[in-house]
Amino acid sequence: MIELAGVGKSFGEHEVLRGVDLSVGRSEVVCLIGPSGSGKSTLLRCVNFLESYDMGEVRIDGRLIGYEDLPSGARKPMSARRLREMRREIGMVFQHFNLWPHMTAIGNVAEPLRRVRGLTAGQAADRATAMLSKVGLAAKAHAYPAQLSGGQQQRVAIARALAMQPQLMLFDEPTSALDPELVGEVLEVMRSLAAEGMTMLIVTHEMGFAAHVADRIAFIDGGRIIDEGSPRHVFHHSQEPRVRQFLETYHDRNSF
Amino acid sequence: MKPEVILHSFGYLTEAAGVTIAVSLAGIVIGFAVGALVCAARVSHRLSLKRIGTLYVSVFRGVPLLVQLLFIYYFLAEFGLDVPAIVAAVSGLALSSAAYQAEILRGALNAVPRGQSEAAVALGFAGVDVWRRILMPQALRISIPPLINEFILLLKASSLVSVVGIAELTRVSMNIASLTYRPLEAYVGGGLFYLAINLVLAGFGAIAERRLAIGGVR
Amino acid sequence: MNADLLWRYLPSLLSGFAVTVFCWSVGGALGLVLGFAIALARRVPLPPLQWFLRAFVEIFRGTPFLVQLFLLYAGGPYVGLRLSATAAGVLGLALYSSAYFAEIFRAGFGAVPVGQIEAATSVGMAPFDVLKRVALPAALIAAVPPIVNMLIILSKETVVLSIITVPELMYQVQTMAAETFTAFDAIFAMAVFYWLLVECVSRLGARVEKRVTAFLSPSGARG
Repeated sequence: MIELAGVGKSFGEHEVLRGVDLSVGRSEVVCLIGPSGSGKSTLLRCVNFLESYDMGEVRIDGRLIGYEDLPSGARKPMSARRLREMRREIGMVFQHFNLWPHMTAIGNVAEPLRRVRGLTAGQAADRATAMLSKVGLAAKAHAYPAQLSGGQQQRVAIARALAMQPQLMLFDEPTSALDPELVGEVLEVMRSLAAEGMTMLIVTHEMGFAAHVADRIAFIDGGRIIDEGSPRHVFHHSQEPRVRQFLETYHDRNSF
Repeated sequence: MKPEVILHSFGYLTEAAGVTIAVSLAGIVIGFAVGALVCAARVSHRLSLKRIGTLYVSVFRGVPLLVQLLFIYYFLAEFGLDVPAIVAAVSGLALSSAAYQAEILRGALNAVPRGQSEAAVALGFAGVDVWRRILMPQALRISIPPLINEFILLLKASSLVSVVGIAELTRVSMNIASLTYRPLEAYVGGGLFYLAINLVLAGFGAIAERRLAIGGVR
Repeated sequence: MNADLLWRYLPSLLSGFAVTVFCWSVGGALGLVLGFAIALARRVPLPPLQWFLRAFVEIFRGTPFLVQLFLLYAGGPYVGLRLSATAAGVLGLALYSSAYFAEIFRAGFGAVPVGQIEAATSVGMAPFDVLKRVALPAALIAAVPPIVNMLIILSKETVVLSIITVPELMYQVQTMAAETFTAFDAIFAMAVFYWLLVECVSRLGARVEKRVTAFLSPSGARG
């Protein structure tokens, strides 16, 4: 479903991604873990081209995103229209929810359905209501984001992305901005999504979640994937020193 | 101090207050239209537009309003256009206010958190829709308190159009002063009217700020 | 307008500029001192004083500068205050700006993070020292950008002084324009002059601001 081959990116002098290879198959759940500054968020944002990548290829369902191959072998930037078309099929959930504060919960979910999918007001409202029920927030449909807790806001954000019926979902540290007691409700929604067979690429610090829900885990540091494999492999049998060091501090803090 | 002077000229002062408000209102509304254009130029990606916008703001904020007013007055006279003073007055106020309003609008656009347009882009929104449905509604809400403040400032600045002969509060106060030989009472009277107008506007400003906080927009 | 004309009037233009600078600097300095005094006085919990000070600030911020000038110059004699035009101008600028500076200082005091005061008192510092060594410096630093901004605004307000016949730059230019029938050129030149002046002062102000607040940013502190 997602193919990353040799993806590289620099911000000026600073090389953030150095030749990343990663693939996510249909209905697979892959978690990206690693220290801060490792480039994991940047990598995720290259998948829907919110960040442009300088080298390599990112393919969604076989199709290159962000650029178009020219017959001469070179490539040019993809047209805005085609990029938008591709983005419709990719759902994204942000660390800081990014709900639109001047619209209600149901307004937030219905807006992309109307502007991007072209649904009528009635159709959009119906689907939005269904989505909000799915994440357990039907009762809060007419609340404004400011009146919702962090966990509720993030669930609305997930509903908003889901309503578009995307082929895959990207999650950028979805629980990092939440109070500890609100994390669970969001992970629960993500867990059921995974169970339904959604293709998911998740950047997260929630090791427990990654361990139990992910099909594969990739550890990224310094812009490169250091190790990847099943949760069992990465957490218990990894030979890479940086991976073990990273997990050690995690274990220390979490097993008293 | 003879307060009766103020009482006797109450009618004139009230009429003059109306002129002050009308002139300022015209100035702020036209100033908004021009200011929005200048702001658009300032945030445009085309370098030439950006430069023009920046120059406009720099000139109309840098040159004192009195100089601008006289310049417009003489500029129009130089080219033989015999415009009534009111046109010079309102255009002077409008063009000057436009520069400040452009900066207010620009600040408001910057204040909308980037993540919101990012979410729209990630969902596949076209640029036009990001502007129309996400950025502008919020930018306008954010800019209302500073715009009300700008209106209060413009109202005070309108006292300068007295020099081109408009019969607003300051000019009428001057007239009363010279007619009654009691400048103290005349200007205190004028000042009280300005204070009253300001008080009402400040009240509106406070209400607006409170009401806009509901609905989730900070 | 030719160079000849300009040469003839150069002395009066220069004298006008000198008067402008004089009024602006003396008026501004007095305004700062008075404004600071008002801000300090407002921390004294004495209701009649509070009421008076609040009224003062509201009046001078709520009425146009021109009206205040007329009141001082034309109305002054009726309360025993006989001022020359220039004196009225300087006093007017001082009183007008003091109200704004008072509010700026007040906001500056309010902007001091409570935590810093708490840190000082919890270590046993006397209240006067807390004010002198912690609250005041922080308040003053916070006040620098708005003060610079207000001083720039004040420099533009000096042209209003010409209306009560203070012989500052604008007055001299208008006199020259009237005597030589070159109104348009004169006003145009003056507009350009003021624009350049304000631009330069603004940039200088920005640099001063940066210097004063440099230690607040990670890269700025030196030595």
